Amino acid sequence: MSHLTIRRASLAAAILALVSTGAHADDAALKTEVDALKAEVAALKAEVREMREYRAAQATATPTAPQPAPAAPTVAANTGPGAGAGMPNPGVGVGEGTTLWGYGQIDYNHPTAHAADAQADLTRAVIGFNHAFDDSTRVYGELEWEHAVASSSDSGEVEVEQLYVEHALAENYGVRAGLMLIPLGLLNEHHEPTQYYGVERNFVEQAIIPSTWREGGVAGYGSTEFGLAWNLGITTGPDLGNWDPSSDEGRGSPLGSIHQELQLAHAHDPSFFGALNYNGIPGFNVGGGVFTGKIGQATSKSTGGDPNFPADDSRLTLAEAHVRWQPGPFDFAALYTRGTISDTEKLNLSFLGQPTPVPKSFWGSYVQGAWRALEWGQSSSLVPFARFERFNTGASYASQPFGLGTPALPTERVWTVGANYYLNPNVVFKIDYQDFNHDDVALSYGNRFDLGIGYQF
Amino acid sequence: MAVLTASTIAASLWSMPTHSVDESPTPASLGAKIFRDASLSASGQMSCATCHVPENAHAQVNDASVQSGGANLDVPGFRAVPSLRYLNFDIPFFFANDGTPTGGFNRDGRANDLVAQAERPLTAAHEMANSDAATVAAKLAQTTYVGEFKQVFGADVFNDPDLAMLAAEYALSSYELSSPQFRPFDSKFDYFLAGKVMLSEQELRGYYFFNSQQKGGCAGCHPSTSVGGQPPLFTDYTYDNLGVPRNMDIPANADPAYFDMGLCGPERTDLANSIDLCGQFKVPTLRNVATRKVIFHNGEFHDLRRAIEFYVQRDTNPEKWYPLDDNGVPQKFNDVPPLLTRNVNQSEVPYNRHPGEAPALSEDEIDDVVAFLKTLTDGYDPATGTADPARDVPTSPQP
Repeated sequence: MSHLTIRRASLAAAILALVSTGAHADDAALKTEVDALKAEVAALKAEVREMREYRAAQATATPTAPQPAPAAPTVAANTGPGAGAGMPNPGVGVGEGTTLWGYGQIDYNHPTAHAADAQADLTRAVIGFNHAFDDSTRVYGELEWEHAVASSSDSGEVEVEQLYVEHALAENYGVRAGLMLIPLGLLNEHHEPTQYYGVERNFVEQAIIPSTWREGGVAGYGSTEFGLAWNLGITTGPDLGNWDPSSDEGRGSPLGSIHQELQLAHAHDPSFFGALNYNGIPGFNVGGGVFTGKIGQATSKSTGGDPNFPADDSRLTLAEAHVRWQPGPFDFAALYTRGTISDTEKLNLSFLGQPTPVPKSFWGSYVQGAWRALEWGQSSSLVPFARFERFNTGASYASQPFGLGTPALPTERVWTVGANYYLNPNVVFKIDYQDFNHDDVALSYGNRFDLGIGYQF
Repeated sequence: MAVLTASTIAASLWSMPTHSVDESPTPASLGAKIFRDASLSASGQMSCATCHVPENAHAQVNDASVQSGGANLDVPGFRAVPSLRYLNFDIPFFFANDGTPTGGFNRDGRANDLVAQAERPLTAAHEMANSDAATVAAKLAQTTYVGEFKQVFGADVFNDPDLAMLAAEYALSSYELSSPQFRPFDSKFDYFLAGKVMLSEQELRGYYFFNSQQKGGCAGCHPSTSVGGQPPLFTDYTYDNLGVPRNMDIPANADPAYFDMGLCGPERTDLANSIDLCGQFKVPTLRNVATRKVIFHNGEFHDLRRAIEFYVQRDTNPEKWYPLDDNGVPQKFNDVPPLLTRNVNQSEVPYNRHPGEAPALSEDEIDDVVAFLKTLTDGYDPATGTADPARDVPTSPQP
């Protein structure tokens, strides 16, 4: 029996006892006393409801990513200013053990050299839910609409980004199963617009780590008193059989172009991930992780697959390391990630001359600094920032005969400078300017000016 | 022994439907007989196989830009004969979300399936030239296989001539859909994709130039990669206006007011008001393109290399392809009405060039692409290194 249940039973017994005692008093006094007790019960009920909602929210916040350090400043250890930890804000209670939460983002991009391509977009609107079945088991989901309108003739999409059941085996470890975010990098698990600097998510954690990257599977999580958080999982993986060498998509994000998002996913080959994060020092996080698995998915033998597919044994390995330090009003972060795909030579031979063969390796890194320069009252702040990114989605390709192979792509470099203005910790207005060393119209790479609005609750 | 080896490998390249060993006639077995039956034409000398010769990848074997039919085989047609191979993968006509016309049978896509496609040759004045369904039915009733026809479609099938003709069209469609000779997937390129042979250096270079958007960019409309587990068909089933020079070997073109504008007519009528589509014809598969005697919808070209030259030099050297006016200026796109020349594709590779610029492919690179395209010929024998589409055709007609 939970503490809440015990407390409620005790209150009921006390009320009954008082009411019984009242039989010896006159009716008016008794009525006054009962009314007072009713009011007190109502207040206690409200308090119990609040406690339940808080507990549910705490359960939701069970981390897969680095926990905020206990004495962290208002900026969470692994997130942007004003953020909660591991998930959006606790959300709004809608019933016993159930909370709703959400976030949204509207962007305006203005390419300075191609003003005619300026674009405004309701990038995403998200509704999430958490329902705690009991103290140790919950279901967690995230539903997303992208680009305002989704239909067969529109560009929008409707997605289930997360949907998993989690069971705490003990106070500091547990398991989850379902569609879950892969715990790599600083952004993938913390992708709400209030949690990162700049109108758009950083390029490295879109092009190399394909945020928002999710897979279906089973995972364990936990943390130690020492401040070490860990995650281990076995999941579905990307499907190399879906590679389209004639599309720009694989050049924009090799893994983003072949992720399956648990949509009738080919699941012959399991993938494995592991991640470690140290959060033992308040305001400091260092960590890293690896994701690896075969991604051929037995295409040559699958129903409807290409019987000539020559890369059944191709393996993806993606690793990353990151660090974040938040001394006082400052926020510094750095990340490096690199991926490899093996056994691509024969597949790329069949793609000879196509614009987008499968890369043998790809990588990216960034450093970022931010400063909470101005604060108004308890909740408003202005945070200028700068970020320097370098990434290459085709750093090398398997060689081909007669010199017909694909040369490595040039490394893209992006400077982003701007500011987040937090009206309150959950509502942010953004402005930035991005400078690219290589324009790429197909991938919307080119110097640009951006504005954005974001919120979460 | 070499043939046996080739056959064994070919069978492993692509699983094909097998045929029933049952001797009972089927729509497909009837279709095989109708396909080669010249008695069904007004002349008594023309069958489907006359123009769609199975041994030449189901395409013509003479050099005529257009074939002549009719009762005396003297009524000229309007368009070049396409190959029937791999047509079973075609899809009904539709407009994609972005408005791109896609699919359909015939060069203007006006037939939605092989049954509908089979109707035109039976009655077209310049082909088999039967005046109506009753004429076709009457001829069917006189064939040696009429008993099988009744066995398959019912003893009273001839009570309704329209039904009898539809049954014949259905039989032809069944034959084309079920017979592996229409889709053997046994070219050298198929062997290459299966990892069983390697292309030569020149062929690989040609493949590279074929795909590269900085070179030929051919794969833009003739995709060379597998989709959904199916070997590449080298067509995206869309339509394009290439501005092919007017072919004065087509008698109809003697009339300067006559223009064959594909999707918007005159043979197709439902898109006559879609002016922006005028001049667009279906992108054909390039499988067996090296065996074609005529190339493009109007059969203007008879040589594959020259056709590729046209692709890459149309805009850099228009004087090579179009007649010159009195001032020596090339009359580009002279097979499109003057007001509709804007419909000609002038934006995609390799058409996005101008006089004075280098063509997208050099002369050597054109040779390389030709070498690659020759690897798309059916009936490849790895033992001899030769390809012959006739190898896919049974020695006696069968479904």
